[in-house]
Amino acid sequence: MNKMQRALRELTEMDDLAAQDSVMHRLHPTAKLLSTILYIAAVLSFGKYQLSGLAVFLLWPVLLFQLSGIPVHICFYKLRFVLPLVMAVGLFNPFFDTAPLLYLGPVPVSGGVVSMLTLMLKGLLCLMASFLLMATTGIDRLCASLRRLHVPGLLVTLLLLTYRYVGVMTEELAVMTEAYQLRAPGQKGIARAAWGSFLGQLLLRSMDRAQELYSSMLLRGYHEHFHYAPVPAFSGKDALYLLLCAAVFLLLRLVPLAQWLGGLVVR
Amino acid sequence: MHMADALLAPAVAAAMYAASGTAAGVSVYQLKKDDEPQKLPTMAVSAALVFAGQMINYTIPGTGSSGHMCGGMLLSALLGPQAGFLSMIVILSIQSLFFADGGLMALGANIWNMAFYGCFVGYYLIWRPIAGGSLFRNLAPKAAQRARIVLASVLGCVLTLQLGAFSVVLETSLSGVTDLPFGAFCALMQPIHLAIGLIEGLITSAVLLFVYASRPELLRDVDPAGQAEAKRSLKATLAILAVVVLVVGGGLSLLASSNPDGLEWALFGNAGAGYSENMGLDEESYGLSSAAADRAGAIQEKTAFLPDYSLAGSENPAGTSVSGLVGSALVAGVAVLICLAGGFFRKGKPHKP
Amino acid sequence: MIEFQHVSFAYEKERPVLRDLSFKIEKGESVGLIGANGAGKSTLMKLLLGLLQGEGRIFVDGTPVEKSSLAEVRRKLGFVLQNSDNQMFMPTVYEDMIFGPLNYGLSREEAERRVDAVLERLGLQELKHRHNHRISGGEKRMAAIATVLAMDPEVILMDEPSSALDPCNRRVVINTIRTLPQTKLIASHDLDMILDTCDRVLLMSGGVLVADGPAQTLLRDRALLEAHRMELPFRLSGC
Repeated sequence: MNKMQRALRELTEMDDLAAQDSVMHRLHPTAKLLSTILYIAAVLSFGKYQLSGLAVFLLWPVLLFQLSGIPVHICFYKLRFVLPLVMAVGLFNPFFDTAPLLYLGPVPVSGGVVSMLTLMLKGLLCLMASFLLMATTGIDRLCASLRRLHVPGLLVTLLLLTYRYVGVMTEELAVMTEAYQLRAPGQKGIARAAWGSFLGQLLLRSMDRAQELYSSMLLRGYHEHFHYAPVPAFSGKDALYLLLCAAVFLLLRLVPLAQWLGGLVVR
Repeated sequence: MHMADALLAPAVAAAMYAASGTAAGVSVYQLKKDDEPQKLPTMAVSAALVFAGQMINYTIPGTGSSGHMCGGMLLSALLGPQAGFLSMIVILSIQSLFFADGGLMALGANIWNMAFYGCFVGYYLIWRPIAGGSLFRNLAPKAAQRARIVLASVLGCVLTLQLGAFSVVLETSLSGVTDLPFGAFCALMQPIHLAIGLIEGLITSAVLLFVYASRPELLRDVDPAGQAEAKRSLKATLAILAVVVLVVGGGLSLLASSNPDGLEWALFGNAGAGYSENMGLDEESYGLSSAAADRAGAIQEKTAFLPDYSLAGSENPAGTSVSGLVGSALVAGVAVLICLAGGFFRKGKPHKP
Repeated sequence: MIEFQHVSFAYEKERPVLRDLSFKIEKGESVGLIGANGAGKSTLMKLLLGLLQGEGRIFVDGTPVEKSSLAEVRRKLGFVLQNSDNQMFMPTVYEDMIFGPLNYGLSREEAERRVDAVLERLGLQELKHRHNHRISGGEKRMAAIATVLAMDPEVILMDEPSSALDPCNRRVVINTIRTLPQTKLIASHDLDMILDTCDRVLLMSGGVLVADGPAQTLLRDRALLEAHRMELPFRLSGC
């Protein structure tokens, strides 16, 4: 399977997840979008050593994974994009910040190690949050919600159309790549001689495709106005969910819950 | 170069969102003013093409590695800066939403680092003056145009990647999540991206040359007949000079001015008090971390991973303590319990994808 | 229903694609448009849809195809593109189908009722909420036809509706076309399909209309077909 086929599989996977039904799926997309942003903001607002404060935030995605019935392993697969830069940045911290921050019994733990772990945990939490948003919402409902949040129509329509053609183009390139590899066994990538023409050919065809697509839109009465998926009205239930999220995040951000819990056990 | 959420503080993320949002708003406004409705499908299909095209591995001759294409330059050469910028926004959004490549909160920063520089700086400072200029007049018209396209793509990719990499360093450092000194971080990022920029530039130019050979009218500011007007010559030369100065002055001189073996020195724990000053760092912005680093440096612990014993955690900076860690473990326990009780909340089994 | 009066068209002045084309299609007719590659079939369709402007006059239901009347004309025409991926630009089948009706001012409820009716008629209910990039080639072609039918056009134009389909899907598409009561103009190289779906055939060659007659006669004329780089439908070739 080449990179493009993998990407396609990931796309269809997300579509499938979003097509399921659960309490989380039924929530208004705007409520989910805003609560996710609040969550990520709360997580990112923690200082670099506040590992224990952050740990409590793990509960929210875990709870949501359960409520939505979304399998968590797909999310971990996506860590491969998140981790490299986070690791590259975080791994240096233990080298630079060597002062012990606390002792686990006799073992000292340096500030750098704590800040590295904090950084990685942040990476994981944010990933889970945005993954959950998309896995329970899907592109069409997200676009409808974005439009209601007054994101310019041009941009939202572009997102919707591009999403559709990402599938088409990726599939086409996957086939082209396979055809190329069949005729160039043992080559890792596209050879110098074909650098321009490989994508260039597809690019030219794409321009014709765009023209045809535009015709298709025109023939169906398109005039500067797009219709988005119907989204049920923002109900009291959605508002309650959003308020609850905001309150809980604020509380967890301000109250060192993990510290208290630990205090009950340790001393 | 996609930044994850974790690398940003909320304030930095919000600031970058504001900056990118403003650029997007202006772009939308200008595109609407132009009123070319057929541009929308072209943008969508081009964006999808670039999205897929960035997954192609191009073999780099003479090495075992492979490179990728630079989307920002390609899109702005095809669609112009505003449409290119919006297309890049959409690509980055899809990458972040569906592939977790770059975070939701970091989207603003990623748009700025990759799309803004690639499209606006790349177009107005490089593509338009060079590709639309009249350099290489001593060559045959077509050959001159080809040379201009190559020069513009390579310079454009190098410059925009340097700016992007520098912004990554700046944003991460301002967010205070790393202890890597600013200078060392730059010394790490800029040269890597110089190499990447050169290769991406060559790949992008290959694609653009193909388009130029088959359908030159698709390229912005490129004269299909290869008969460039002479009036832009001075402007173009000036722009190129400015860019060369920028690249050399910005990217390379950062390397030169940083301590010759800055990174190595830093890595092995010699971070003395003078180090951060050397690197032109604002120590205030580092607060605790730089204080800690200074102390650590004074002790010159070679095996940096093992913390020094001489400093007790007397001044606990941010509330992490043993009880905190134990509490976190308890939280993890609760999380497991929630998982176990999962079936209780759900109707039926989770569907297999 | 459709009338072409001395229509000519050229992308470049010296090389005309269509030359002095005149014909008339009555309401309810099913007409096959055949001809070799480059004969001008697609160009003819595009002129009729007002996507290109040429010389001469074209009428749809008495209305001339002109810039000012495009909306009115296009409302009566439904065009099924050869490449369904270019036709279906929304993420799901449902959104694609409802796109046209909504643009023509129907309320969402009305539009949705219409979408459901079309899906039911074609037996495609289970496709409704499927994603366009997830359905098979055959399903996609049927969905594309459904998209056009949802607009309730008076004339249906099709460009190679049977291309790249397996025999079973091809048969489904053919049977569907046969049940459509609208006026139809179908461009194709698939002469067996034309024989199944059309009563009249227009044969084009080099931008000129070289023959116009009943499908049963014209498609049996081996000499005529072969002179214009076509061959007898498989079914009539006697092998």
